[in-house]
Amino acid sequence: MRKPKVGIFGLTGCGGCQLEILNLEDQLLDLVNAIEIVHFTEAITEYSDNYEIAIVEGSISTMHEIERIKKIGDIAGTIVAIGACAVSGGLNCLKNLYGLEKAKELVYRDKKKLIDSIEVKPVDEYVKVDYYARGCPPNRFEIVDIIRSLIVGKKPEIPNYPVCIECKRNGNTCVYELGITCLGPISRAGCNSRCPNSVSGCEACRGVIDDPNINAQKDLLKEYGLTVEDILKEFNLYNACRGKTIEQKNK
Amino acid sequence: MLYKVLDKSAYRDFVKALISEYEFIGPKKKDRSVHDFVPIKDISELDTNYMRVTIPPAKKLLFPPNEKLVTYEVGRKIEVRPVIESDEEILFGVNAWDINGMNFLDRVFTTDFIDENYISKREKLIVIGMDSKPTETNFSLSMGTEYAKDGFDIYLTELKDKYFIRIATARGNEIVERYAKVSDATAEDFRGYDKYMNNYRKKFKMSVNIKNFYDDFELIYDNEDFWKKIAKNCYSCGSCNLVCPTCFCFNIKDDIELNLKSGSKTREWDSCMISEYGLVAGGHNFRPDKENRLKQRYRCKLKTFIDKFGKYACVGCGRCIEACLAKINIAEDINSVKKEVSV
Repeated sequence: MRKPKVGIFGLTGCGGCQLEILNLEDQLLDLVNAIEIVHFTEAITEYSDNYEIAIVEGSISTMHEIERIKKIGDIAGTIVAIGACAVSGGLNCLKNLYGLEKAKELVYRDKKKLIDSIEVKPVDEYVKVDYYARGCPPNRFEIVDIIRSLIVGKKPEIPNYPVCIECKRNGNTCVYELGITCLGPISRAGCNSRCPNSVSGCEACRGVIDDPNINAQKDLLKEYGLTVEDILKEFNLYNACRGKTIEQKNK
Repeated sequence: MLYKVLDKSAYRDFVKALISEYEFIGPKKKDRSVHDFVPIKDISELDTNYMRVTIPPAKKLLFPPNEKLVTYEVGRKIEVRPVIESDEEILFGVNAWDINGMNFLDRVFTTDFIDENYISKREKLIVIGMDSKPTETNFSLSMGTEYAKDGFDIYLTELKDKYFIRIATARGNEIVERYAKVSDATAEDFRGYDKYMNNYRKKFKMSVNIKNFYDDFELIYDNEDFWKKIAKNCYSCGSCNLVCPTCFCFNIKDDIELNLKSGSKTREWDSCMISEYGLVAGGHNFRPDKENRLKQRYRCKLKTFIDKFGKYACVGCGRCIEACLAKINIAEDINSVKKEVSV
């Protein structure tokens, strides 16, 4: 089987998603045998504009990044967005809540005119994204699953059901019973219920499922004495850029 | 069935012997609200007086949440090897409705198709049952599952100063003969046992009007408003399925290694409450609405297997009621079906 040429790119983000690929350790050698990595922002010095698959981390927050992502889109036949920033804008979107000018003022003060900073958006606002590896950080095994599926030519199985399913498979006690609030019932699984496994609530870093029962979640949180502001704060941590999920947006 | 009695003073020695001689799985307090069936190394960890249900149910020992079914290698030809793993172990302190749940799964996994993975585990699992106190959400008495007549090797019932022991298998008898100082049950012991069971049955506070549900359900089946009302707050999160002792649906995942030379197929617990469950090739979804899925779950639990095996696929343990954040209550819903159709 021919090895596809792959570029791994970092936009606005912490670099943790690329690090997750490096963290594959046991699978890394198999990975570089299965694909030819021609560009890897965080890991190799060489640069190439010749790739078929682009794996993109980070959100778009500068004019320069718009140019970069458009160029990537022109070259790559397939784009895989990895991590909350690339998929939904992620934490960076919190900037938008202040308004661009206010945010620039707060951070850059009198230098703000010199800084190239625009409203934060996810990657798919500018180019068509084929697959999403959600989460903060993304599940590295899911990234492998997407790559593997691309090589063998099948659709990767990305869960579109709530975290509760994985949480119950793992035999966890519901964190609500322990007095902790959790967005699990409306949030996308695929993380193997990482946070509830360590007895903390889900913060929806993989976004919300396609058909969430938001009203039920509001009722539930209210029952635990939380105000609408608290609820919004929880939703906003990773999902300030959009009230809707990607799939709903595309419909 | 053999009937024996074990003096209470000899109980600890019996259990200790089993813990040291066997892989021993029993209920242990996990956190402030639930117990779980886990390997027990010392009798001090064992807590058979569990008030609440165990999460997950004991079925996880027979039908694990994730289970490798086959491995394969792709060379000049494809070589496939089944993976059937089972070890002899004791499941101790499992209650009657959970045993009845396993009995239901026995039927499911041996009808139409013999599921070797399940059966190999079931055959090697030595089941020692014990009653536990029903919770407020338990309606096993209405479902006829508060008493197990088979599906176990040994069943211990705690009477005043002794345990009344029912032995259902030769294997169970060997264990009792080897490790427990028992004597034959006398007529008085039987009377004590009957008295105990009468009192035990009084402890079930929740009851459902399951009589004629089979017909009532058809009358309510097309009443959309009724189902919409019941499913209004449903998250479609699947918690009800995954804590259920009788839910058996699974999804099979194909994992090929990055070397593209070998791989495996794994099954994992699935849920009929999630929208992907009804999704088929071509993109059509048979049950896109949550009220449809909830209705289908009730149908499966309370009607489908009456046709198939003459059994309910619900033992009334109340786990799904406890696990539901939207407070959907199958017992109340059974009763409201009755009310709705008798208006």
